Amino acid sequence: MDRLSSRDAMTAQPLLPANAGRRRFLTLATALLGAVGTAYVIVPLVESLEPDASVKAAAATTVALSPIEPGMQVTVPWQSKPLIVVHRTPEMLATLQAVETLLRDPNCEVPQQPPECKNRFRSLKPQWLVMVRVCTHLCCTPLYEPRKGSVGPRWLGGFHCPCHGSLYDLSGRVFKGVPAPRNMAIPLYHFSEDEKQVAVTAMYPESKLC
Amino acid sequence: MGRLTAWVDRRFPFSVLVRTSMTEYYAPKNFNFWYFFGSLALLVFATQIISGILLLAHYQPSAKAAFNSVQSIMYDVKWGWLVRYIHTTGASLFFVVIYLHMLRGYLYGSFKRPRELLWLIGVALYVCLMGEAYFGYVLPFGNMSYWGGQVITSIIAAIPYVGGWLASVLRGSFGVGTPTLTRFVAFHAVLLPALLAVLILTHLLALHEVGSNNPDGVEIREHLDARGQPVDGIPFHPYYTVKDMFGVGVFLVVFCAIVFYAPTFHGLFIETYNFSPANPLKTPPEITPAWYLAPYYAMLRAVPNKAVGIGILFAAIIAPFLLPWLDHNPVKSSRYRPVYRWMVIVFVLTLVALGWIGMQPAIPALLPPARILLALYFLFFLSLPIVSRLEPTRPVPERISAS
Amino acid sequence: MIARLAALLLAVIAVHAAAQTPPLVAPPVAFNRATIRRGAQWFAQYCLSCHSVKWIRYDRLTRDLGFSKDAVRQQLMFPSGAHLARGMVPTLSAKDATAWFGVAPPDLTLEARLRGGAWIYTYLRSFYFDPTRPSGWNNRLFPNAAMPNVLAPISGVENAKGRLIQRGRLTPKQADQVIGAITVWLEYTSDPSKLERERLGPYALGFVVLFAVVAYLMKRAYWRDVS
Repeated sequence: MDRLSSRDAMTAQPLLPANAGRRRFLTLATALLGAVGTAYVIVPLVESLEPDASVKAAAATTVALSPIEPGMQVTVPWQSKPLIVVHRTPEMLATLQAVETLLRDPNCEVPQQPPECKNRFRSLKPQWLVMVRVCTHLCCTPLYEPRKGSVGPRWLGGFHCPCHGSLYDLSGRVFKGVPAPRNMAIPLYHFSEDEKQVAVTAMYPESKLC
Repeated sequence: MGRLTAWVDRRFPFSVLVRTSMTEYYAPKNFNFWYFFGSLALLVFATQIISGILLLAHYQPSAKAAFNSVQSIMYDVKWGWLVRYIHTTGASLFFVVIYLHMLRGYLYGSFKRPRELLWLIGVALYVCLMGEAYFGYVLPFGNMSYWGGQVITSIIAAIPYVGGWLASVLRGSFGVGTPTLTRFVAFHAVLLPALLAVLILTHLLALHEVGSNNPDGVEIREHLDARGQPVDGIPFHPYYTVKDMFGVGVFLVVFCAIVFYAPTFHGLFIETYNFSPANPLKTPPEITPAWYLAPYYAMLRAVPNKAVGIGILFAAIIAPFLLPWLDHNPVKSSRYRPVYRWMVIVFVLTLVALGWIGMQPAIPALLPPARILLALYFLFFLSLPIVSRLEPTRPVPERISAS
Repeated sequence: MIARLAALLLAVIAVHAAAQTPPLVAPPVAFNRATIRRGAQWFAQYCLSCHSVKWIRYDRLTRDLGFSKDAVRQQLMFPSGAHLARGMVPTLSAKDATAWFGVAPPDLTLEARLRGGAWIYTYLRSFYFDPTRPSGWNNRLFPNAAMPNVLAPISGVENAKGRLIQRGRLTPKQADQVIGAITVWLEYTSDPSKLERERLGPYALGFVVLFAVVAYLMKRAYWRDVS
């Protein structure tokens, strides 16, 4: 057999090899297996970038309640965000009803809190406010201003964002006429049996931060 | 598809590259088993880059945190064990593949004219790979990492004049600690991979310029057909791409078997003492190097003088660079050089034996054999200029013999 | 005189008997989930009050070994009320431990990797009563070990010559099963991926073998025209 024609059989397109169908099938099969195998490797490799178990273990935090005196607050870092626990006095709780006509969402229709906290106090127990202290406007940390008249002459107490002036009441409900669109977020939490500490476990999935 | 290719081709030589390096790059038709390892090295390099990036996403380069962050990869990171075992297995198999690839060069005289530069780039790649492996070896900061780091930087420190300064630059501190780890990450994850990538590209460019050698050691470009293509050549694509796919398949079987059933490979791929954290006050009871560096370690221990030992070590690494100019025989392949063939076999056995000795505890009984083997190693290079001129050769065929 | 010589001889023999390191014996149990589960329970009962296995988070035992969360809480968690997502760490502080034992009991997560299962199994079976030691215990494999023989209540007490001088709660054979299970548990903690590797290994290997075979057939189909 002369070499030229065998060369043509190898390289030139128009002259199909005798087993073209078998070649095409096996090439396709190899390519398919290669693609499936690659996919099966890529999935675990990419999943290795997910937050690891130590991050998940640190996702929950507990805050001791006994050191927080009435009217005082404690803010702790939680999931890289400030978490505030406020011990509200009966007087402070009384202001919540007084400001309701001035609020954007007084009845907490926007799911910024778990259903069990969809009430005026936005909490499981009226005196304890457990809240992610992040302004819904642009993620600043609002100042805690419980004293009457401290922000304005008619101020009854609440949160005041230093960045763009958004105002919230003592339940973290946003006032009308400020840049922030929503109430501040209430996470999922529960009290220990002796009620000496609160365990904060996760963000409420439907709530939005900012 | 055709229009897209045309669009790209007007702006980038895509089709030209595919033609010149794949479909119209003619390779000898008689490649055998030894010719799988070039493309496999490329595959392992890619694997190491990908798994390395993922490890780097979790690794913390500090004396306090490094060991724990590696354990966190093993215990806390989802699929972390898989990523790390791929990386450790890949590291060792990289050397397996490279050693077989280099041995092919010895067997078939692939370092000879006109492939001297191709060979030099290849040996440079090997030296870079040793550096890459060493820096990576220190990063987990187990006790073997720590003492390996100490010993090698001490070897550097023994280089006359500049050694002390060089070692201090490597360590970045009085000993091996956080400053060492931070720069070793920079070397291991950025500098040397970049260098390796450039060298690999240069290696491939040089290869495609001179063409591949083959087991017969005859130049296929000396016999061209009417179209100006080598008669005994076949296009790299599809013939060698499909053949290499099969090679990849077999390689992956070995790779998976190790990753899933023997990831530490009895302490060879992940050293046992590296499961305890770095301890500057306690040398592991048996301090042995990684298997792929063990022959050099055996040479170092065989010499009873520090400066001479380190000199020998560097000489042993440099010797392969000189191969193209030590071998004067015009016949390339060991198939037609029976004496040279035996020399290569003895040389390989010497390296294996030296490697075995290098991984044994430092006992005096092993000194005499280590010294004999050391002499044999250098004898290969020193005798080659004479042997290659005098050895009898078998007749070399004009063209590749039909297999 | 003769009595003194005899005493000296005995002492030398005793020293020799004590100095002889026993050969390493592999644990007589299989590496599987059931054994590891048993080992975990014994470990929690006898070892976890001093030794941590800090890289093992309690909740991974539910996934890896099939324990229910309640079983982990009731049988393994020590001290009770530790966090499910956190590692297995005892309340004993390293400072107290150093005061009691002279050295802090090491974390055992990686011990089986470092020393091997056979070493751990042999070590745990090599304790003997030695009134000269502050703890009252010595070890043939690891002379002057600071650790007391916490397993004595189940395995019994041996003297320096290896004779049982006080029987334990279990027969020697049963006790070996317990020690073997603890060893296998520590082999698991040293590389929990082993269970998953052994589960996935056959699939991965089968797949790449299939790939190699198909690739080989493809190669052969193309190489038909190379003479």
